[in-house]
Amino acid sequence: MRLLRLREVKAFFQGHAASHQLGWNWIPRLSLSPKGLKILAASLSCCRWLSDRQRHELGPSHPAGPGPLSGLGRYLQHCPHRSPLLSVVLYPQVTPQAPRGLHCSTAAHNPDSPLVPRPPEPQRGLVKALAPHEELFRQAPDGVRDKASFVQAVQNFTQYNVHKRGHVDFIYLALRKMREYGVERDLAIYNLLLDIFPKEVFRPRNIFHSIFLHYPRQQECGIAVLEQMENHGVMPNKETEFLLTQIFGRKSYPMLKFVRMKLWFTRFKNINPFPVPRDLPQDPVDLARLALRHMEPDLSARVTVYQMPLSKDSTDATDPTEPHIVGIQSPDQQAALAHHDPARPIFVEGPFSLWLRDKCVYYHILRADLLPPEEREVEEIPEEWNLYYPMQLDLAYGRSSWDDYEFNIDEVEEGPVFAICMAGAHDQATLAKWIQGLQETNPTLARIPVVFRLSASSGELLASSSGLEETPLTPPEGREEEENNQQRQQQSQS
Amino acid sequence: MSGCGLFLRSAAAARLGRALVAFTASRRPLRTSPPSQAFAKELFLGKIEKKEVFPFPEVSQDELNEINQFVGPVEKFFTEEVDSQKIDREGKIPNETLEKLKSLGLFGMQVPEEYGGLGLSNTMYARLGEIISLDCSIAVTLAAHQAIGLKGIILAGSEEQKARYLPKLASGEHVAAFCLTEPASGSDAASIRTRATLSEDKKHYVLNGSKVWITNGGLASVFTVFAKTEVVDSNGSVKDKVTAFIVERDFGGITSGKPEDKLGIRGSNTCEVHFENTRVPVENVLGEVGGGFKVAMNILNSGRFSMGSAVAGMLKKLIEMTAEYACTRKQFNRNLSEFGLIQEKFALMAQKAYVMESMAYLTAGMLDQPGFPDCSIEAAMVKVFSSEAAWQCVSEALQVLGGSGYMRDYPYERILRDSRILLIFEGTNEILRMYIALTGLQHAGRILTARVKQLKQGNVTTIMETVSQRVRDSLGRTVDLGLTGKLGAVHPSMEDSAHKLEQNVHYFSRTVETLLLRFGKTIVEEQLVLKRVANILINLYGMTAVLSRASRSIRVGLQNHDHEVLLANIFCTEAYYQNLFALSQLDKSDLRREERGTPRNSEHWHPTPTVLTRLSPPAVGMTKWLLQQILRKISMN
Repeated sequence: MRLLRLREVKAFFQGHAASHQLGWNWIPRLSLSPKGLKILAASLSCCRWLSDRQRHELGPSHPAGPGPLSGLGRYLQHCPHRSPLLSVVLYPQVTPQAPRGLHCSTAAHNPDSPLVPRPPEPQRGLVKALAPHEELFRQAPDGVRDKASFVQAVQNFTQYNVHKRGHVDFIYLALRKMREYGVERDLAIYNLLLDIFPKEVFRPRNIFHSIFLHYPRQQECGIAVLEQMENHGVMPNKETEFLLTQIFGRKSYPMLKFVRMKLWFTRFKNINPFPVPRDLPQDPVDLARLALRHMEPDLSARVTVYQMPLSKDSTDATDPTEPHIVGIQSPDQQAALAHHDPARPIFVEGPFSLWLRDKCVYYHILRADLLPPEEREVEEIPEEWNLYYPMQLDLAYGRSSWDDYEFNIDEVEEGPVFAICMAGAHDQATLAKWIQGLQETNPTLARIPVVFRLSASSGELLASSSGLEETPLTPPEGREEEENNQQRQQQSQS
Repeated sequence: MSGCGLFLRSAAAARLGRALVAFTASRRPLRTSPPSQAFAKELFLGKIEKKEVFPFPEVSQDELNEINQFVGPVEKFFTEEVDSQKIDREGKIPNETLEKLKSLGLFGMQVPEEYGGLGLSNTMYARLGEIISLDCSIAVTLAAHQAIGLKGIILAGSEEQKARYLPKLASGEHVAAFCLTEPASGSDAASIRTRATLSEDKKHYVLNGSKVWITNGGLASVFTVFAKTEVVDSNGSVKDKVTAFIVERDFGGITSGKPEDKLGIRGSNTCEVHFENTRVPVENVLGEVGGGFKVAMNILNSGRFSMGSAVAGMLKKLIEMTAEYACTRKQFNRNLSEFGLIQEKFALMAQKAYVMESMAYLTAGMLDQPGFPDCSIEAAMVKVFSSEAAWQCVSEALQVLGGSGYMRDYPYERILRDSRILLIFEGTNEILRMYIALTGLQHAGRILTARVKQLKQGNVTTIMETVSQRVRDSLGRTVDLGLTGKLGAVHPSMEDSAHKLEQNVHYFSRTVETLLLRFGKTIVEEQLVLKRVANILINLYGMTAVLSRASRSIRVGLQNHDHEVLLANIFCTEAYYQNLFALSQLDKSDLRREERGTPRNSEHWHPTPTVLTRLSPPAVGMTKWLLQQILRKISMN
């Protein structure tokens, strides 16, 4: 639960320009719980009363115009000082509360970076203008977009704009452009952006400054920079800290955000026991390998490439393109399949989705139903087994419930999974090829009926699948390729 | 709820003990002349079988003279003629050394006299072992020949087989080897792949397969081989069972691989042995067809006790050499031997050597008693204790010797390398601990079954009895098992130690009851519990052995018996506290599975991050990941 001051809300509505000059610093703090939006709404009627003059100036089309709640909803989304945890909690609770209809007038969020707040545009209703400073990024020669040109753009801004007019807008713009330039994971660039802020100006000078949000728009912009760092997993360093203290001072919200990042990043950095490499391979076959390894718990499992993708340009239009088929099977699974009763069918099921960072891949499994209890073989201990010590005691009683450590484990028994595969296409013809390939190592498979249970609409994401097919890489033809070392594979990728 | 459970359990255990006393008491008079030789097993029930261990087994004067006659020349040979360094370096025992060993009769020490052997008793065999172990390679070669190689013929062979093979084996004309281990089969008899199929004329078995790590595999001309054969059951079904065969090299089809290059005991010959269509006559089946499993177990169980005395002999020699160094090497104008930390090491070595020697000779003495005493638990305990003590002592000796202990010019590093195998062969110590604990628990469980059942069913009288027993225990009842006192078996100078032993035995039996009540037959899976049970039992046996031996020394007035008393008391105190610690561990249920942290072979095992991991740059978009996790949780609920 955090404290939200009316002052902040109000300042937000007023276009940030002269909010601190209006002299409403005396307005007491309001405590806002996410649940108790009603209280806030009530208090906002007072806000309406306060900002009468400004609203008059803004005109009816401004987001703050029709009703305060729309601005509030947006404000809460962009709530400037939240820890990573808080941001997670706030979302589902707040957004449904804000009425949809009120959002209509606001611009749609950029799907790329939904957490970066767009700067409020006071004249939006009046003039349909280009975002300011857009030309700085456009003038990059030959359309080369890399770190150097990005740095050049930033330097141009600071050089030709000695008074740093509109620097907040420029930083927001730069944040949005970072991904295009491929510098969104570069700490130096973030520090460069922070360096644009004028120093010492926004530092609170007395206790009242630090109690109330001092230069809210600038602080918010600073937080946006940190937020984007957080989203891309960039850890701030000493230089960041130095810049922030110089710009906003120690007792400011960007600094608070910085401290929280410092605290939580170290804790969360290695929290995933099954880390996914940061840069995923582009080649679908390599990606499939990675995904299969990621899913398979058995380290001795073998990845087999049953079919390499045929590149589109090498084949005629009449030839259907051959999608890739990559499968994985462990020795244990192989043995289980060998012992499978041929009278019982086995199933190919899928596609199921798997997310690897921002990519979604689809896989199929080969599985069987669980044996009914009466047909299961009880594993018995042979009489003459261990040469050295008895493998069982002939005592008439077992473990007391006191020492039954598994009393609270609720286990669902499932049928065995014999293999997993990832293919470029999810139709039966492709998967039948996989089964054929499996028969080479599992001769018993030829005698077992295989049933294809493919869900008709996979609910597949169009974007990701098209992204997969976009890469017409043709590695040399090799039917069975054993892949032992993920790292080696990644190195060869990069 | 939990309190109630605890109460029940302790109640159950206590009651158990009482009924037991009554039970054994009633059984006593029914016993006939060879009493059940189960000292260690009775410890599980809280009883000390004084008859077995007090007084310390004596050797008759004739026998003593005989040993001394024998020991002299052997000792002379080993100290003067055997060049251990050369054997180690060249990886081979010279032929003339082997010839001399044969002429001394060392290849047939335990072969009965009527077959041309020396027919030594177990005690005398142990005594000779002390000397033979001065060179580990020779000791291992001889042990592989007679402790396991030809033991099968002595234990399970028919008269014809004995008459045919034993004389030549005893004289050393033939060397024997024991072929059990296979690439896929260590202690797992079910996975033996070597196969013997009966030929059509039913006169031969055709043997196929290969065995690995066979000591004497290259030298031997007679092999005891274990192979799977088809056996028709009583109900007509065909089963694969293990059968033992005596196989001569002359049967053909036997090849041995090149000698393995080993860490220690480099002079002994270890190699693979392959059998390819070797035709073995039906007469050469050892024991019954399909009875090979029992034969193998008997051979393995009988061969272990001698390790204690052998290691003791080696250690005594090592202490001698180390002491010489410590008494001559001067630092700061003082001999090394004057420093407390060095003295402590010698105390440790002396104590361990004394204990293992006592245990070994006590076991040998028990084995020499009439009847066919089953001392396999005791022998296993001797093996475990002595091999571990050997490793520890040799390591400490090297510490005393400093740099020279590490150099190849001196014999010390060779002893270190040689002693490492002791923990591994003849059943690894881990496996033997399982054997010790499980065999004892099996015995205790059989006797306690009725009581445990009553307790589990909640029989009120039994529970009340048990509770009162427990309460009396906790109120400081002194445990008296009759070791001390007027007619006590232990000398009064070790009264304290004897009390400690009694107390340990008493609480050990209580703990065993509790454990059986808690785990029942699933205790087989609780290896951490079993290990502690075995450790306690080994300590108890060691305490008994030293108390018995030191008491005897005082009684017959041996030279330096005060030292023995000192060593015995030190060991008993140490072992007492070790036992208390282990018992308290067993009492608490802190041997939980969760704490083991065992990675299973097939699962991802993530190594603990090193110190440097912290410094690596944050590569993971952790907040996004966390978000995904939380969303997944939400969607699952």
